[in-house]
Amino acid sequence: MTSDDLAMTPQDKDDVLAAEYVLGVLDLPERLSVETRAKTDTAFAARITAWENRLADLNGGFAEAPAPNLLPQIEARLFGTPAPRRRPLFGWLAGAIAAAAVAIAAVALLVPPAPAPLVATLGAEADPLRFEARHDGQTLVVTRVAGTPAPAGQVQELWIIAPDAAPVSLGLLTDAPLAVAYPDTPEGWTLAVSLEPEGGSPTGAPTGPVLAAGTITDL
Amino acid sequence: MEEDTVAGLIAKVAAADRAAFRDLYSATSSKLMGTLLRILGTRSEAEDALQEVFTRVWLRAGRFDPEKGRGMTWLIAIARNHAIDRLRSRSPAAAGDDGDELDSVADTSLSAEGSLIAKGEARRISDCFATLEPDRAAAVRGAYLDGLAYTDLADRYAVPLNTMRTWLRRSLLKLRECLDQ
Repeated sequence: MTSDDLAMTPQDKDDVLAAEYVLGVLDLPERLSVETRAKTDTAFAARITAWENRLADLNGGFAEAPAPNLLPQIEARLFGTPAPRRRPLFGWLAGAIAAAAVAIAAVALLVPPAPAPLVATLGAEADPLRFEARHDGQTLVVTRVAGTPAPAGQVQELWIIAPDAAPVSLGLLTDAPLAVAYPDTPEGWTLAVSLEPEGGSPTGAPTGPVLAAGTITDL
Repeated sequence: MEEDTVAGLIAKVAAADRAAFRDLYSATSSKLMGTLLRILGTRSEAEDALQEVFTRVWLRAGRFDPEKGRGMTWLIAIARNHAIDRLRSRSPAAAGDDGDELDSVADTSLSAEGSLIAKGEARRISDCFATLEPDRAAAVRGAYLDGLAYTDLADRYAVPLNTMRTWLRRSLLKLRECLDQ
């Protein structure tokens, strides 16, 4: 970076990096490193938000374009069925969620101390890589019980898949159990782990091979 | 500041209100589709991305903080970030196909800029862009609206990558100074 003759303070460097991220000029590894840092560094995350707000007036440059109604596909991914009356599955949504006022947010929570009931096993007994999914009524916790993490530069990503719908990412699996706020464990849905590039699938759909999968059942 | 109806809908979505989620889709999907189409270039990929964006909106709505910004700004940030991640993860072969798309997008960016200023929507930001040299202002706009990477910009302006970085960083610091006044 010899031609970069800008003399910047460390604060300015951070601020310029946040701006470059918001502007979108970084390559993928740089973007992933910014996103990873923003998860824990709140001051840095605030710089990103500030730049999003500073440049928000440029959003006027995006012309509207007619969007087809994609809600049926989106709702099928999130809720398991495009037609709410078709399946009784919606009880869990209408009742449980409204009462708890909890989004099905993929928010990492502290792992509960006592093991919750087992709802799915990902991988067969003899498989080299195996995960267990437990659910305590509020939180889905997925733990690796056999095998090793992905090699350097790759990650294991967890997906939940409603019948006939596209997978939804629940997060990246590390050595620690992955805990996701989830109000119910819909029976018959699939949990799967795929191999993805560092930072997870950039497209929102699995891109690598499936390493382990299992169906949610009332075990 | 006028009432932020989009922010109100996002807050309801955070409480798992599915009717509000549908209202939010009706109210904002055209804008987000336009954003994705501009950056990704093809309707099929933009539609694919739109599904992912609204899935993320449902999952992340609880993290939206209306104190920190407007609802539409938050939504467009999710859409732009997803579109740019898609662009950056395209294989080099697929990225090669982009040449023509980028050229055609470049033409529309000029007219979009013109209408932006004409409508007076972004008076302040266009005043601040006017303090930059014209090609540097265009580079910043091109990056934001078309999802151009440093390497794309260096090609387009036929300057070495490091020169482009320096240009852009200097422009960003200047913009910050002007916009924060």
